[in-house]
Order: sequence, then structure tokens, then C-alpha cells
Amino acid sequence: MKNLPRWFPAIVLICVVAFVVSIFARGIGAGDLGGGSSGAMPLEGLARIPVSAGGRTKPLDTYARNELLRMSGKQTYEGDGGSRPAIEWLLELWTKPEAAAERRVFRIDHPDVRSLLALTDATRTRFSWTEIAPKLEEIFRQAQLASEISRKKQDPFQKQITDLYGKLSEYVQVQNLREPYTVAPLAAGEEWAPLIGTDPHAKPLDTESALALRGILASYALGDAADCTRRVAEYHAVLDAKLPSAGAASAFEVVMSRCEPFYNASILYLVAFLLGCVAMLVSPMSPDRWKPSLLRSALVLIAVAFAIQTFGLASRIYLQGRPPVTNLYSSAVFIGWACVPLALVGEWFSRIGVLSMAASLIGFATLVVAHNLSASGDTMEMMQAVLDSNFWLATHVVVVTIGYSATFLAGFIAIFYVVGGVFTKLLRGEAMKALPKMVYGVICFAAFASFVGTVLGGIWADQSWGRFWGWDPKENGAALIVVWNLLILHARWGGMIRDRGVAALAIAGNIVTSWSWFGTNMLGVGLHSYGFMDSAVFALVTFCLVQLALVACALVPTARWRSLAATS
Amino acid sequence: MNKLKSILKSLSSLRLTVVLLALSMVLILAGTLAQTEQGVWMVVERYFRSLYVAIPFQLFVPTKIVRIPGVFPFPGGLTLGVLLFVNLLAAHAVRFTLSWKRAGMIATHAGVLLLLVGEFVTGAFAKEGNMTIAEGESANYIEDTRSCELAVIDTSDPGDDLVVVVPARMLGQAGGDVITNGMLPFSVRVVEWMPNSRMLGPMQASKGQLAKATAGVGTQVAAAPVAVATGVDGADIDIPAAYVELKRGDASLGTYLVTPRINVPQTVDVGGKRYEIALRFERGYRPYTVKLIDFKHDRFVGTETARNFSSLVRLTDPSERVDREVLISMNNPLRYAGETFYQASFAPDDSGTVLQVVRNPGWLLPYVSCALVALGLLVHFGSRLISSVRRKVS
Repeated sequence: MKNLPRWFPAIVLICVVAFVVSIFARGIGAGDLGGGSSGAMPLEGLARIPVSAGGRTKPLDTYARNELLRMSGKQTYEGDGGSRPAIEWLLELWTKPEAAAERRVFRIDHPDVRSLLALTDATRTRFSWTEIAPKLEEIFRQAQLASEISRKKQDPFQKQITDLYGKLSEYVQVQNLREPYTVAPLAAGEEWAPLIGTDPHAKPLDTESALALRGILASYALGDAADCTRRVAEYHAVLDAKLPSAGAASAFEVVMSRCEPFYNASILYLVAFLLGCVAMLVSPMSPDRWKPSLLRSALVLIAVAFAIQTFGLASRIYLQGRPPVTNLYSSAVFIGWACVPLALVGEWFSRIGVLSMAASLIGFATLVVAHNLSASGDTMEMMQAVLDSNFWLATHVVVVTIGYSATFLAGFIAIFYVVGGVFTKLLRGEAMKALPKMVYGVICFAAFASFVGTVLGGIWADQSWGRFWGWDPKENGAALIVVWNLLILHARWGGMIRDRGVAALAIAGNIVTSWSWFGTNMLGVGLHSYGFMDSAVFALVTFCLVQLALVACALVPTARWRSLAATS
Repeated sequence: MNKLKSILKSLSSLRLTVVLLALSMVLILAGTLAQTEQGVWMVVERYFRSLYVAIPFQLFVPTKIVRIPGVFPFPGGLTLGVLLFVNLLAAHAVRFTLSWKRAGMIATHAGVLLLLVGEFVTGAFAKEGNMTIAEGESANYIEDTRSCELAVIDTSDPGDDLVVVVPARMLGQAGGDVITNGMLPFSVRVVEWMPNSRMLGPMQASKGQLAKATAGVGTQVAAAPVAVATGVDGADIDIPAAYVELKRGDASLGTYLVTPRINVPQTVDVGGKRYEIALRFERGYRPYTVKLIDFKHDRFVGTETARNFSSLVRLTDPSERVDREVLISMNNPLRYAGETFYQASFAPDDSGTVLQVVRNPGWLLPYVSCALVALGLLVHFGSRLISSVRRKVS
């Protein structure tokens, strides 16, 4: 027991390695194309069948997950005998639509929508097609009424009814095999196509891919596992020969989805953060044994979480053929990711554990944000033509996002400094001096990255439409971050603020950054017209209020700071 | 001399820098929020290229929570930009000595000065317009989609058209008054002016709406007012419309509907002469001609998302002996005669292209500025970082 603190980081390392191995084992899973046990359907092989939706070639598994996520808010559903994967729901929808109609996959939250549809069961939020179907005409009428109001001005009821109508139409499209485009282009001159076209009198497609898919679905419908397994294996053999790129990427994507790298990384970041908190708590009692041991353990966890997150980002780059940041979702993942090495450099300088705690907290928080942004469907959607430039995505977008990361990191270190300094006696002597230096250093870096990133964005705009700066909301948001960082630096150089002032302004920087990141996107949704109760707006406003409270803490006179009192 | 020095010194103060930066942030925030109600160009003129601006209190508080009337005066972007420029120059005159240690900061500040100059040059001299060309047709003029004009065209000379234009600004201000001018063959009474509009087809328009016009296309289709496009809507442009009554003395020549959306000629006969009238975007004619040979618009399979668009055009300029084909696509503009042609948009059914044409003498400045600032900051912060690392290692 005496040596436990010394061995603790190694034990954590062993546990976390076991955790990672189990994740990848689950990802590779029943990697064979067959059904595994006899009599079971070849779900693995079915999941890997490439289809085209939203312009992107993706495995059927991803398509099913995204559809279910959009309709129900989850990637699984309550099937016979508990929670089942999305791919089974999709296959059931295609082969046994009456059974699928009983599945509760439509999420309806708004009480008025529920009462309109006579859905009286208050204990659940998900309902089945059968439950909704009697009111289809009413939904259509309400959606028609709502469609005359622009999306921004719609009230929550109108938004939900419009969304529901969209989901129901999509459900029908999918059930009738018009979506996704399942028929693969296996011969010259062919293109991705739906198995059943919109023209009911047209002759069914008789390409090699269409025939194979019809055979697979027929044997699945009959429950003939052996026949289905054989057909799926044959189809994959044809795909491997005639469309090799799609097959390999599809198989990889199925593994990646099942590994859930970002979800697992977020768990590790959270555990690392908690370990850091415990380390701070035990530091008065065991400053030389448990504190460094726990901090080292937290570092181990952060390193592994960072590695998993890197794997996830690298997978997205491989699958999309694009630099890491392509939309709001990936910007959230990337902001957290870029913070970690920055914070670890700072940790190397200061060695007080606070920076790795900040890194793990940001890593966790940004992944939670990303998770909440992923509910709208495919997070690897195709890029609009104007954004179709890997060079600028790799330079402007990446640099400006790193600028966001650094500004957040400075703000979070400042939070630890203020909270730890005002309310606890944990930050004595060295730490009280080192932390403000770290905040300052990170702000210098943030000023550099945000300035260069923003100007590069202007140059991209000049290349694309001849306007370096257009004063549009997103550009202005980026400019605010740059100016804020410059303001802090100049105020410090002029001696107008010192450690406490830099910390207060750095915390306020969190508000500026989150405004630029999300607030500007919400303007269109109309902070001034409606949607003020929109959950994202609510989250943003709450975050900003908390930051303001923390700024107020920073303004507490230093004589009242418990850490400073303890030092002197 | 001492007095000059003390003025220079107070102009160079870091306190002034911080105050100016803080004021800039308030201005940028207000200018962003203002775009929820106004178009981006209106905001740019009022907030960012003005000496001062009156900012409504309401901008900062949702109307749902509380209504606050009134405005407060605030320095505009031009004022703040000039002050920052002076502040920075003064700082270098007073405080900064030329030395290698300062080289990074000096380069950075030179870059910032260039950036300010660049934005000033753009604001003062840059011209933007659109060239809309249908497939197989040519254009030798650029339209300014931010301002309209009522054109009265005398087509009696087969060689040249004689055009008299009334700026839309005058139409908007007329409010029922009659516009007369010796060059106009008739006077114009503005019955209704719509800064932004939508078209109602023969089946959509009510009898009353169709009755507003007594002659021309407006007897078959109607226009209805819609809210002006705001900055947060993106790149939408306002398309105005007007009902105008043309008069000769006290006799009415008919009430016409005019809007850039109507692209068939509407004619008026006055005293045996035939005139065309049209409300159109202001045109700037060019010595060269651009003919659209082919417009391509690829979409991702199974979606409406644009994958790319491109315009194959023939550029002819007889006076310069130019006659060549050019492919203009996204991120691949054509630069000619001091102007740059960008693939901007397309006609509704892919029947034509919309090119954005920009003349900006200051376009190169941000590139130089970016390089200077990046290099300067890298040198400045980099050298600091290296020395901290050295201290840490030793």
C-alpha cells in the first residue's frame, strides 16, 4: 500500500490500454462477412454495403444511423428484446414495413403537437408511424400553414410540425426505396440510382447492382439467413472488383462508427479532469506523494484520449478527403483537440497541473458540444461549391479554429486561476505567479493565430468573390476575437491591468469567442424575433452569464483571495 | 516644439489604443446586430465607413424582453480607423526606436497600418457589380445591384439608343409627387414604390392588384412589397418595383408596373414617337464584350447541392485586339482591364450565369499586410518563447 502512489499512474495506464483495446475489438467486431453463428443474418456485411446519400458514398450502416438519429434523436431503437442497432430498423423498414410501423422512432416533444396528434401517453417522447398515421392529413394541413411563415419567424410549434412533416415524408421515401441511392455504378455510364425510381410505370432497374440488392432484400425478407449471407458475400466480391475504393472506405467507416472515438475520448477527458480535481483536493494532505501521482495519472488519460481523438479526426480526413474542419460539428471536435497540445506545452512550463485540467475540461466540453451538433444527420456532408477548396480549408479554417482554441484555453486557465485563488488555498506561491504568465502566453499565441487566420479568410474571400472584407456577421465575429486579444495585450503592456485584470479579461474572452463561434450563427434564427427559448441559445446565454459571474469573482480585491492570504 | 511633442505623446498613448480597440468592438458588435434588420451594404455605409453613427439602444436587447426607444451617438468606422492609424504612427514616432529587438513589432504594426489603408482604399475606390448573361448572349455593361434607375429609351435612331435615366433614389423620395425634367418626354408620377418586391403571376394576383396598372405587363402580373433583405440573410439582393403613372400635361399615358424582373420591353407612344421604359439596375458600359458560350452547374448526385459551376465565355475588346475564350469557375476568376470577374451565381434554371465584377485598386494590400503581420508576430513572440524555453531548460 505504501508504494501505491508510485504505481498508480502505471495501473491507470494498464486500465486505459485495456479500455482502448476493448473499443477497437468492438469496432472490428464480427469482422467477417458471414453471419457468424448459423441462422443469424449477415448484419456485418449488410452494414458495409455502400450507398449514396447527400452526395456522399457511405456505408448503409452510417445511413441508417443518421436517419434514425434525425427521426428519433438516437442511433438505436427499442426492438424485440431491447435496444437494437439502426441497420436492423432500416432493413425491417424495407422488408417488413408493417412491423417497422410499430417501432417508436418519431420523437415529438412539443406538448401542443402531441395533443394535436392525440398522443396522450405522457411517459414517452417517441411514437410510432401507426400512432401518428391517423392524423397525417392534419399534420399536412398544419405544415402547409406553417410553410407560409419564414423559418426564422416560426414559433416552436410551427417548427416542430414542419420538422415532423419532413421526417414523415422522408420515412415514406426511405420505405419506398427512393432514398438512399442504393444501386451502385458498376459499369461504365452508370450512376448512383435509387432502387425504385419516382416513375411507377418505369421498368425496374436491371443493372448488376440492382439485381443483387433485390436478391439480398428478398432473402432477408424470407428470413433465409444462409441464402442472404451467400448473396451479401457475392455482392461484396463484385463491389471489391468493380468499385474497390467505395468498398474499403465503407468497411473502415463501419468500424469507425462502432469505435465511437469521440464519445470514448470524452469519457477519458472527464475522468482525467476528475482525477485532477482529486489531486488538488488531496494536495494539502499529500503534496509530495498522492498529488503528483494523481496528476501524472491524469496526464496519462489525457494523452490516451488525445490519441483516440486524433484517430477519429484522421479517420474523418481519410473518409472525406478534406482537412479536419469542414462544418460546425468538426470545428467543435477540432477546438478541443488543438487545445490539448497547447495546454501540455504550458504544463511543461508551469508544472502545477492546472493546465492539464483545463485541457481535459475543454476536451470534454467541446466533445459534448459536438455531440449535440451531430443530431441533424451526416456530420461529413458534402461542401458547397464555394467552400470546395482544400487549400483554404487547410489554412484559413484550421488556423482560425486554432485561434478559437487558444482564446478558450486562456479563458479556462484564467477561470482556474480565479476560482482556485479566490475560493481555495490551493494555489500558493509559485502557482499564483505561474498561472497569469500562462494566460498571457496563451493570449499572445491566440492573437497570432486569430489574426493570421482571419486575414487568410479575407484573402480566400478576395480569391472567391473579390471582396477581402465584407463586414458580414461571421467575419465580424472573427474580428472581435482578434481585437479582444489585442486589447488585452495592449492594456497589459501599458500597465493598465496586471495579473488579475488579464485573468478577468481572458474570462470575458470566452464570451467573445462563443459569440463568434455560435452567436453569429444564431442571429439568422432571430434573437430579436423569436426562438429565444431555443435550447442552443439558452445554453449560450447560460454560458455567458456564468462567465460574467466569474469575471465578477476576478474583481474581488486581492486581499480577499484565500490563496494569497494563505501565501502571506 | 515642446507643445508638439506633448501632443504627439498623448496621441501615442497605449491608453488611447485600448480605448479605441474597445470602441471598435462595440461598433463591430452593433454593426453585426444591425444586420438582423438592415442589408449589409446599408450597415457598412452607416457604421463602418462613416464619421459617426446613431446606434439604437434596441439593438442590444430583444424586443421580446423590453422595448427601448432612442439612439446614442457613436464614432463611426472611419473615425476610429483614422484615430487608430494616427495613434499607431505617433507611437512609432515617440516610443519605438529602430532596433532588431523591435523588428518583429515594427513589421506587425506596418502590416496593421497597411490593413487600415487597404480597407480605406476599398471603401473609397472599389466598385462592385454584376454581369448577368444568358447562354448564347453577350453583355457589355455591368449592373450595380445596389441601385436602380428608371430608364426611358428613345429607340427611333436605328444606330444608337438615346437613354434618359431617373435614379431610384428620386423615385423612392417622390411619394406621389410628379418628377419632371426637360429631357424626359413625359412627367412621372410615382403611384407606389417598393424597395424590395416579389412577383405575382396571373393566377396569384388579385383583380385589385392587376388593376393598379393600366398599361404594359402590369395588367397581367403584379408586384407586392416584401421586407428588405438583411445582412444575416446572406447574399440576397433587393429587387425594387414601382407603379408609375406617365403624364403629358394633365393627360395620363397610363400607369405601368416597372421592375428589373420584367425583361420584355414596355413601350409608350408620345407624340408619334415610341419610347421604351424599364426599371433596371444601374448600368456601367464597358468597351469590351463578354459572351456566354456555355454555363455548367454540377450537383452532387441525388441532391440540389452545387458541386461546382463554371462559365465558358468569349471575351472581345476590339480596341485592344482581344478575342479569346476563357473558363471562369469558382475560385478561378478572370482578371482583365483592372477588373476581376468571379463566378458568383446563376440564372434560376441554369439558363445563364451571373458574374461578379470587381475593380479594387487596393486588392493587393491585405496580402502584403498578412505576410508582414504573420512574420512580425512570429519573430516577436517566437524570440520571447525561445528565451523562456532556454531559461526553463537551464
